Order: sequence, then structure tokens, then C-alpha cells
Amino acid sequence: MVTYLRYVKMLKENFKDFFETLKKLGEVHAPVRRGRLFSFTKVDSPGEVALNYNRTMLPPKKYFVKPFEEVLKIKVGKGYELIVEEPKSLVLLGLHACDINALRVLDSVYLDEPQDDYYQVRRAAAIVIGVSCEPDEYCFCKSMGTDYAWTGFDLFLHELGTSYLVRVGSSRGESIIESMSNIIGEPTKEDFIKLRDLELKRSRMFKKILNTSLLPDIVDSLHESEVWVVFSDKCVSCGSCNLVCPTCRCYDVTEKVELNLQEGVRVRRWDSCFIRSHALVAGGLNFRPTRLDRFRHRYNCKSSIDPRTNLPFCVGCGRCSAFCPAGIDHVNVLNAIWGLA
Amino acid sequence: MSSAYLPKLAKIVEVTEMTAIEKLFKLQFVNEEDAKSFTFKPGQFVEVNVPGVGESPISICKSPTRPGPLELLIRRIGRVTNAIHKLKPGDVVGIRGPFGNGFPMEKMKGYDVLLIAGGLGIAPLMSVLQYVIDRREDYGEVTLLYGVRSYQEALFRDMAIDLIKHPEKACLRTFLSYERDDPVFVSLMRDHPENVRKGVVTVLFECADPYIKPDKVCAVVCGPPIMYRFVLKELAKRNIPPNNIYITLERRMKCGIGKCGHCIVGGATAIRYICKDGPVFTYSDVLSVRGLV
Repeated sequence: MVTYLRYVKMLKENFKDFFETLKKLGEVHAPVRRGRLFSFTKVDSPGEVALNYNRTMLPPKKYFVKPFEEVLKIKVGKGYELIVEEPKSLVLLGLHACDINALRVLDSVYLDEPQDDYYQVRRAAAIVIGVSCEPDEYCFCKSMGTDYAWTGFDLFLHELGTSYLVRVGSSRGESIIESMSNIIGEPTKEDFIKLRDLELKRSRMFKKILNTSLLPDIVDSLHESEVWVVFSDKCVSCGSCNLVCPTCRCYDVTEKVELNLQEGVRVRRWDSCFIRSHALVAGGLNFRPTRLDRFRHRYNCKSSIDPRTNLPFCVGCGRCSAFCPAGIDHVNVLNAIWGLA
Repeated sequence: MSSAYLPKLAKIVEVTEMTAIEKLFKLQFVNEEDAKSFTFKPGQFVEVNVPGVGESPISICKSPTRPGPLELLIRRIGRVTNAIHKLKPGDVVGIRGPFGNGFPMEKMKGYDVLLIAGGLGIAPLMSVLQYVIDRREDYGEVTLLYGVRSYQEALFRDMAIDLIKHPEKACLRTFLSYERDDPVFVSLMRDHPENVRKGVVTVLFECADPYIKPDKVCAVVCGPPIMYRFVLKELAKRNIPPNNIYITLERRMKCGIGKCGHCIVGGATAIRYICKDGPVFTYSDVLSVRGLV
């Protein structure tokens, strides 16, 4: 993958023009405030966009692996037909570095041969525009090494007070920049010093710290630790952490036929490894029969490293902790494994 | 659009009742093109679809060295397999695959082959057994340890009995263990005490030991999950190198291509997809990946 250093500068007052340019490229979806929360939603005007958000409840994966979708048409006894939608141009505006890295993890799974057709079509048609952020009390991306996206986006907006320092991340990003040369300028040395200072400030703001050196080995070797029991006893197996996780990618498949028994459809939907049926096989054998097994399974999965990207399977977005109804905090669990709590 | 997600139509051409709960299905692809493009390796599996009911991962019970229809040995045990058991010749199902890595038949060339099957575990191993018989000159001595519960529940029982009575026919040594007495197996044990034992499959090691040369053998194991722990212990005790011990595993494999996540196994140091990285693993994998067996 080619990465190169190329930054341009855009005044914030030109964001409106920037937004209009993006709208020409496809449907723009961005974080929008919904009461106390934020959600990636279709936006028509720049005023709706909440670029200073902490996190959305659902991650951007919802655009590529749908929570629920029909994937296959079944003509009973006659054949099958994939339901692959026409690629629709999508501009995802305002992704944080953690979510961009999470998409890279999803890519490495879903675009690995043989590709997932449904994912591939949507992913290829999506422009990703990142935005810089400041951590809140749940963020631990710095610990995971995913607080910075060096690839996986087309443009990345670094907020510098009255302007954005825009990092160009792809040739597609390059051509977007070219098409709006009237609002783009060259950054100065002072801009980069400002960027440095802001990054340093951001880096010092993290309150959640997780020791990630040797984390996979520590989690694996302390498989029998009673810490797992303490936390899994609090867990209610609701699967909320799976749904809000930007890298959780398990899906379930079901089928139904129409009453005429001639046609049917295969459906897939997000699944959760906390549900008892996740590792259940025909005949009743369950490879993860207890909640403790399933709890540890998730932490094992999230603490491992994706061999294709060398990225951790957890990007430290903090969603699972922020939205756990039992108040289980991902970092607290692992810190307890480290003996730090 | 060709896709790993798109099932291909296959017609059931023959159904053989093997036991009260197991049937052998022979399937022919409806489309000539699909039949031609379908190639597989011993130990691979397919996803069988009954429209409206769902899919089930089933290992191929036949060697690619043999022409003719696809053969699947299916136990009636869940929702989908119950529906499959109701199907008759002429009925049509959907097939996706083949999936998985399969057994490394090339790597095993020149080695003795020790097959250890428990119950339904004989189904995936049949592909290996037929393969080594058909390519007999490529492999050393072939030994089969086959454990069954009873005569009534024994799959391929006529074949097993025949192999014990006439070992010269297929040039392999066969050992059979059974757990419940019945006249056929009791008399078989009386006539062939060196080949037949009462008990679980591990009791057969005693009979087979003279023929197991640890540095020259590849072991291939398939059986119910509980069996692996005991069989692997016996094999390790005999100093067979962990890389020459192969097992094939079952999980809830929904997609078959390493996406849906149901068959993920392992600890934080090593995550494996049974459907894609397996279903065939070595004993080395078992030692390094948590929870494989």
C-alpha cells in the first residue's frame, strides 16, 4: 500500500463548499446528534453535521455489513440468485481514526479471498473522510496504536482552530482536492507546528490506559484467571458490545420460504458470540457452553492481532464500555487481568 | 456472478440407508458446467442447502480419485439434516463449496498411513481411505483403526467386516472395536482376535502397535470431539511427530469462507477459522491453538 505525505489547507469557512463538492460525489453520511447520542446518518446540509462528536453508537460497519439483509433469492428446486445491490456512491464524512482502522480490519476479513461480494460492492463505492478528535473517558485507541490512521481513508481533516489541515490519503482523495482548488491552499510551517502541538495535547489527554505489550500472550496464558469469572458474572449476555463494536463481524444466516413454497429468501444479520447458539452444533454439543466461555472468547478475539494488517482486532473506540448495560469496561477487565485493578 | 455464496443445484440420484439415523446420499450437479468445475480434495466439506430450512456443513465421503456422483454421509441430528433425510432420489438440493483445506495427501506420500475413525468420523476419512487405496503405490502400509458403538450403529459395517476377513483384497490392515455385544461382532472377534476388540477405539492400539513405525507414519484422526483427547494422547505416547498427526474438526460453519465467525477457535495468541484454516489441523496446531480439541 502506498502512503505519501501530502497535506493541503482549507479554511473552516469553506466547509460549506467542501460539503457541496462531496454531495456531488454521492450520498453524504456523517455523525448527527440524536439526543445524548450521535449517529451516522444521511445529511443534506453542512449544518446537520456534528464533527465534534465523541462516538456514534453504531459504527460505520453498518454501511458495509448490514444489520439485517436479504442476500439470496431462492427458487425452490430451480435455482438461486445473489441479491447484490447496485453500487451506490457513498461519502462517509467524519470518521475517527479508530473507525478507519476498524474498517481496515473488516476489509482484511471480508475482502480476503474468497471475497464477500456484498461487502466488496459497498466498500468500493464508499469515500472515507476522517476527522481528528479528542479522547473522552472511554477512549483507549492510543493504547491500541490505532489513534492515528495512516491509510484507509481518502481525506483526513485535522482541525486547527479556524482551518483544517487536510491529509490526502488516496488518489481518489487527490482528485477530490483537485476539483476544489478554489478553496484549497498550501499549508505553512506554522500549520504543521500547530498540528504537532495539538497532537501532543491530544496524546496527553487519554485517561484510559491499557498495557498492550504482550497482551495476546497475557490474556491467553491467564485463561484460568478468576478475574474472568468476576466480570462474566456481571455480564448479562445481551450482545450489546458486539453490536456497537466496529470490528465485530459475526453474522447469522437464516432462510424462509413464501407460503406458495416456490420462492424463498436467505437472510443474514449481525450475530453475537454472547448468544448461546453461537458455537452450538447440531446434536446439542456447544463448544462454548457457559457464559464464562463466551466472555473469554470475546476478550480473546479482541485481544488478538490481525495477521494481515498487523492491527489489533480491538481499535479502542470505547463503545463496548460506553454502551454496556452492566457497566463492564473493556479496559478495566484487561487491567484486572494485568493485576492493576 | 460467480460467488462462494451462490449454491449450485444438485439432484439426489441415490439414497442408501446406512443405519437408523444415517443415510448415504449420491448427488449429481444439475448443471453440466457445475459438475465439471467441481473439484475437491479428501477432507474438504460442502454446505448442503434445503431451501427454506437452511444449510449444513457436510464432509465429502468420497475420494476425488473416483468418478461418479458426489457422496455425502449424513446423520439425522438437527433441523437441516432431518429435512435432508426426508428427501428422495430426484429431489434437488443446493451445494456450496468445496470448502476447507483438506488432508495434505501430497505431503503424506511415502509415509505409512494410520487412519483412526470413531463412529461418524469414518465419513471424512473414507475420502482418505479410498484415495490411498487408489494411489496405493504412493503410500506405505495402510492401517485402519475403526471404533463403533454397536453392529446396528456401525457405518460401512459390511466393508469393515470384509476388510477384516479378506485383508489381502484391499492391501490394508483393519482393526475394529465395538462397545455393545451382538452375534456378528462377537463371532468376528472369535475368528479374528488379533483384529477385533471390545471397547473404545483406543483399545486397538495394542493390536496395531507392531505395525506403527513412529518415524514413518502419518496418522489421520476423525471422531466425536471427546475421542481426540484420548487418541492424541496415545499417538503422542508413541512419539509420532506432532506435524504428522492430522485431525479434522467440526464446528458451526455457516459461511465456509472465514467470514461469519461461528467457527472461530483459539486464544488471543492465535485465532483460527475451522472452515478456512481447517477443518484439518495437525497435532502441532492443537498444542499451539487454545480450544481446538
